[in-house]
Amino acid sequence: MPDLSPEAAHVRVSHVTKRFGSVTAVDDVSFEVPKGAFATLLGPSGCGKTTTLRMIAGFYDPDGGDIEIAGRRVNDLPVHRRGTAMVFQDYALFPHMTVRDNVAYGLKVAHVSGTDRTRRVDETLAFVGLKGLEDRWPNQLSGGQQQRVAVARALVIEPQVLLLDEPLSNLDAKLREQLRVEMRTMQRRLGMTFVYVTHDQEEALSLSDWIAVMNAGKVEQAGAPWEIYYHPRTAFLADFVGAVNLVPARVDDLADGTVTVRFGAHTAVVRRPDAQLRTGQDVRLCVRPESFTIAPAGVPAAGLALSGTILRRAFLGDTMRYWVKVDDREWIVDQPDPGGSATLDGPVSLSLRADRVHVIAE
Amino acid sequence: MRSLQREPALLLALLAVTALVLTFIVYPQLQVVLTPGPGGYVQFLQEGTWLTPLRNSIQLTLLSTTTAVLLGFVYAYAMVYSNMRWKPFFRLIGILPLLSPPFVVAAAYTLLFGARGVISYGVFGQSPNIYGLNGVWGVQTIAFFPFAYQLIADALSRSDPRMEQAARNLGAGSWRVFLTVTLPLSRPGLGAAILTTAIYILEDFGNPQLIGGVFYVLPTQAYSLISSFGEYTSAAAVSTILLLLALALYLAKVRLDGGRSFVTISGRASSMPRPPVSAAVSRACFAACLALAGVILLVYGSLVVSAFTLRFPNNLQVTTEHFQYVLTGTNGDALRNTLVFSGVAAAFSAVFALFAGWLVQRGQWPGRRALDLLLILPAAIPGIFFGLGYLVAFNQRWLDFVDRGWLIIIAFVFWNIPVGYQAAVAGLRQIDRSIDEAATSLGASSLRGFRDVVLPMLGGSLRVGFVTTFVRAVTTLSLVIFLFTPPTTVATIRIYQLVGDLNWGAATAYTVADIGLAIIALLIFATLARGRISLGAARA
Repeated sequence: MPDLSPEAAHVRVSHVTKRFGSVTAVDDVSFEVPKGAFATLLGPSGCGKTTTLRMIAGFYDPDGGDIEIAGRRVNDLPVHRRGTAMVFQDYALFPHMTVRDNVAYGLKVAHVSGTDRTRRVDETLAFVGLKGLEDRWPNQLSGGQQQRVAVARALVIEPQVLLLDEPLSNLDAKLREQLRVEMRTMQRRLGMTFVYVTHDQEEALSLSDWIAVMNAGKVEQAGAPWEIYYHPRTAFLADFVGAVNLVPARVDDLADGTVTVRFGAHTAVVRRPDAQLRTGQDVRLCVRPESFTIAPAGVPAAGLALSGTILRRAFLGDTMRYWVKVDDREWIVDQPDPGGSATLDGPVSLSLRADRVHVIAE
Repeated sequence: MRSLQREPALLLALLAVTALVLTFIVYPQLQVVLTPGPGGYVQFLQEGTWLTPLRNSIQLTLLSTTTAVLLGFVYAYAMVYSNMRWKPFFRLIGILPLLSPPFVVAAAYTLLFGARGVISYGVFGQSPNIYGLNGVWGVQTIAFFPFAYQLIADALSRSDPRMEQAARNLGAGSWRVFLTVTLPLSRPGLGAAILTTAIYILEDFGNPQLIGGVFYVLPTQAYSLISSFGEYTSAAAVSTILLLLALALYLAKVRLDGGRSFVTISGRASSMPRPPVSAAVSRACFAACLALAGVILLVYGSLVVSAFTLRFPNNLQVTTEHFQYVLTGTNGDALRNTLVFSGVAAAFSAVFALFAGWLVQRGQWPGRRALDLLLILPAAIPGIFFGLGYLVAFNQRWLDFVDRGWLIIIAFVFWNIPVGYQAAVAGLRQIDRSIDEAATSLGASSLRGFRDVVLPMLGGSLRVGFVTTFVRAVTTLSLVIFLFTPPTTVATIRIYQLVGDLNWGAATAYTVADIGLAIIALLIFATLARGRISLGAARA
């Protein structure tokens, strides 16, 4: 586990703003990435995540704020002096160079001698599993192979920070999952600082030590993946990261560490969030679909019990997703490992553990 | 801007490009515009001698453009839509006029239909007066319909065949699809093609000069003011009027296509097949193309026959006498000058334009819109105006130590910048910006990235710029008419002089030699480049 204390910040972005004409793409964004961390900027398209990454790389000049890498302010350094190699979404392999020449390019520019260069290129190609493809041209490679060349080309120059701009988004689902694992393993082995941009929440959750979720040019919340997932601070976050039930509720009572909320005809005592709350306040409950247990009506429920009627369902493979009408609201409920015959229909009873209910104060 | 401050070498390169553009594009043109001075303009406008050439120019441009575009459209429609026979042959014939100076049509016309013409006198025993509006109109129609064809074919072939297939699939017949889908979709391209043809015709100097007689248009008026009267002030004013007309047409064209279409010579792949037209339409297309190709062949055929016979048409004995005359002595020198000047200029122009295109397209600094405009501006400047600008600006005593051939080369380079520049811009559009960025993020400076990554990928644009510039340099008369000196005479000047001397054998032999050498040079280049060179109009 990398050291996540702020003293070890390797990339520091402080109060950075970027405007394109009248549009503020990045609005006073600050965060720190510890050395050796796998950090991810996650958000919908247009949220400013790629712009932020490109400012770290030096492709854009911030209109305000500072960017530091390894304790050095880099705002005035040109791209090629920053030590921030980048892996591009479309890989940007040089089509007129072979795999070997693509990977050797950065070393050639840095005047690394011939034998040393050959050795490092060979090692890196072996590291990403491309041995034997040295003399191919980029257009002779599959998407996954091209992606590996792009990674190898950036890794070989041993950058301070590796920047990755949605590097897996052009691959099919199966390959994406495989490369996700490889990427994480690789980063652990090298202990290199990665800053990764994606709009895919699953990718972010599975890869990262640290995630910053961005929306409309701002960081909405940053932290460990499970914090983002289970304790989102805003409804946007809850909704963006995974499927979620967002249920309007009202604060009935506040106690030390707990809060009593009322929704519809139900009351529940749940964990009190960090946010300021007062009695009578309107809040929203965030409940993940997998937090329920679903059973035919009449089966006694543990914890918070709700009864409802199934409206429709979708088979997702590993789970069966139901839309259940409880009072006058639709809830999304997942049943894991549904099996072939366990399909439910009609009235059901739902049970929910109170510690799985998260309160969002907005 | 900050990216430039961080890379001083890039800043220097940008300053150098800007300085060259200001010196060789802006400064000479300003010299012409400013020559008459406010008083000169007032006096000139009051004299009113410009009214007739202006009216003539407008009248001729309207008439010739209309007919050239009509013929060009028929040819283009047949080539793009019909499945007639002999298409490769018609394509080849359509290219021939692009490789030769437009005024050879006037020469052939005189040869065939003049007072002692092969057809007019030889066949019908008539000695018509061919000089004047009708003659120039006819000649320009024949000379420029192939250009119109190239541009229109390009515009038509850009419409997405899938749209036409969809319309056919929905039940529309081929003609209806053409009227309701193809034409509306290619309207901007067609408009731009018409305007480009109009600019070529408006700026043409050779044809009206050879057979205009007393029918003066703006370019010939400007020329005669200087060559006959040494009237620089009035010539500059007339040229400025011409420039304003051309600029107006050009700006209208830019509104339609962003100034992107040119007649270029490129390695462009042919387009997707289109839904077929009916057999009857194909037959009509074939007949029309055959007739038009026949006219072109008549023009060039008569030149070739005249070049190889003792005294066409009276003495048809085959001879190489004319070729011996044109390939030796000062004639041979002029031919060599043409090849050397054009080759050197084409190489410089293509590389410079490519680099400038990269700076403008990829850079982020204030003033890049202005530099972009200046780099396409020469496309709107008539050759006669551009040449006059160089004459006024650089024909100075203190520059006498420089060989005058360089002046012609530099004029070729900068007059043709838009061709290479647009080709570079189009090429760069095909290359994702992330390719440049990948190079810099791996530690290469911007200039290094250009050299290692962008330049090798823009070979196609470089070839288009080189070949098109070469051909335009070999075939221009108007640009060099003010710039040549006896030792720096070029082929078009010699042909023009020989036609003026009514030395038909030598003139036609010279034309054949010039076109032949240009084709050989292109073939050598194509072999060296190991790429297919095809000619045609393209949004460069």
